[in-house]
Amino acid sequence: MTTAEERYLLAKHRSEVAVSVELQTEDMTLNIGPQHPSTHGVLRLVATVAGERLEKVQPVMGYMHRGYEKLAEVRTYAQVTALVNRIDWISGFANEVPFVIAAERLMGVEAPERAQWIRLILTEMFRVSNHLIFLCSFPAELGAPTPLMYALRERERVLDLIEGVTGGRFHPNFNRIGGVKPAAGGGGKQKTVSQDLPRGFIDGTRRAMAAVLRTCDDLEGLVLGNEIVQQRTIGVGYLPAERAIDHGVSGPNLRAAGVPFDLRKVDDYLPYSRFDFDVVTATNSDAYDRCRVRLGEIRQSARIISQALDSLPSGPLQAKVPRVIKVPRGECYVRAENPKGEMGYHIVSGGGRRPYRVKIRSASFCNLTVLPSLLEGALIPDIIAILGSLDFVLGDVDR
Amino acid sequence: MSEPDAPDSPAAAPVPEVPPSRAAHWAALAGAAEWSDAFRTAKVRVPRERWVEAHRALKAHLPFFSWLSAIDWSNEVAVGDPVEGDPVAERFEVISRLADVSAGEAVIVSTDLPGDDLQIDSLSGVYGGANWHEREAAEMFGITFTGHPNPVRIYLPDGFEGNPLRKSYPLLAREVKPWPGAVEVAPLPAVEGAAGEAKEGGA
Repeated sequence: MTTAEERYLLAKHRSEVAVSVELQTEDMTLNIGPQHPSTHGVLRLVATVAGERLEKVQPVMGYMHRGYEKLAEVRTYAQVTALVNRIDWISGFANEVPFVIAAERLMGVEAPERAQWIRLILTEMFRVSNHLIFLCSFPAELGAPTPLMYALRERERVLDLIEGVTGGRFHPNFNRIGGVKPAAGGGGKQKTVSQDLPRGFIDGTRRAMAAVLRTCDDLEGLVLGNEIVQQRTIGVGYLPAERAIDHGVSGPNLRAAGVPFDLRKVDDYLPYSRFDFDVVTATNSDAYDRCRVRLGEIRQSARIISQALDSLPSGPLQAKVPRVIKVPRGECYVRAENPKGEMGYHIVSGGGRRPYRVKIRSASFCNLTVLPSLLEGALIPDIIAILGSLDFVLGDVDR
Repeated sequence: MSEPDAPDSPAAAPVPEVPPSRAAHWAALAGAAEWSDAFRTAKVRVPRERWVEAHRALKAHLPFFSWLSAIDWSNEVAVGDPVEGDPVAERFEVISRLADVSAGEAVIVSTDLPGDDLQIDSLSGVYGGANWHEREAAEMFGITFTGHPNPVRIYLPDGFEGNPLRKSYPLLAREVKPWPGAVEVAPLPAVEGAAGEAKEGGA
């Protein structure tokens, strides 16, 4: 009786106290990662949240720091290419290219035209593969798993061709100072032109690119036309162009902010000026636009590849280089438009067989420097859309 | 440039014909007395006192912050090879690379720090992107960036001692176990002695 009344009043009072306490919530520190699947490796975010809204985000890195800059100092130039493959493992081949070109410039060597064409074709194939991975994982993380199957199927075609040429799917280690490696199985007689690319590579690549282009049309509807993707990405993660430039954001993330800057157009590290292609840009600079730019870039890469196959010159795969590679004293920085942005190596040579110092400029690290400012004020579910749209790989961040 | 380690030292190989670099132009803008454009890499050298000022002057033309790092110039190395030929002037060189996002122009700005006074003003007030790069250079080389808004480690775990990218810092894995790859890089006197001998590589 009275006890029941008392109990009732007490409960009522408690709930009122609870409500008033809840109204003055305290900020909570939420630890996201390093094992979260949307962090593309081992990125940890220490977020201060007020309800569902992020107030401050501190990325914590270094779980995958392998010290490649130090390791490069104790390896010969030829051995470093095996190392740099593993920086951004989604586009391993493209990481090798600026390194060997920087060493070649220091030595005064230039790769023969055919080797340059092969480098260019394989770089573009890795760009297709990288962007297809993006188009598979990005919608999947947002709750649209269907495009995954389509994108991975096409990526497999591209990887099979890459494997046919280089022998490796992820880590081709195919570049040599002065050219590219003679193809697998060539043996001592590899110098005849017919043996340097596997038989059927050119036709197979044409077929694969036609298939990729068809799938791009499918993906256009499956990803960009997908209501789940649209609702979760349009207007999310806005990155103003000035901030992107100030922080060194490059690649598709910069082009999605409306800056038509592409190193393939302004630098001459590979003969891109011989081919006709467009720089894909967007204007809204949100997660949706970053996705759209990448889909457009697959089509442009397919365009470049088909032109390069048409004009593939014949000739040797290797320039004449000494058997023991010694690089004269000097400093050289070469950058390349990698699938994820500007990838560059500043090689400081002391004149020996090993570099004196190698500074690795990786795209993902610089692209991530805007992350705290992008996430401030965003909602917790938007973290996944924003992280995914930047397209980074932790190996490329930590090096 | 007159430094012994200058890229255009006589030991350097002849460079193929290349379009002229704009290093002199950037040197004038940055107020730098020395510049070089060997190997198509434009580089200007400013004194430490003018480090931030030079970046401020260049920012209007080169708004893209590409990277920042350092080089430990040392004749005594615990790992790798020392510089061949003349000894270098021992110092730490801080380098940053600035670029534009239209014509593809770029320059490397460099300054020297004496080994006993590794302090330099932070660029994070000029370029937002410098923040993380300075944190990396700070822990890897032991350089203090004065005025840095968040001077904490970026990669190394708490309690890590030493600055791994210094030339005096040994590669601990090799101290424990010799590297098998070292066999392949042993000197080959017969080939090295034959000057100008060029063999087709990769066969």
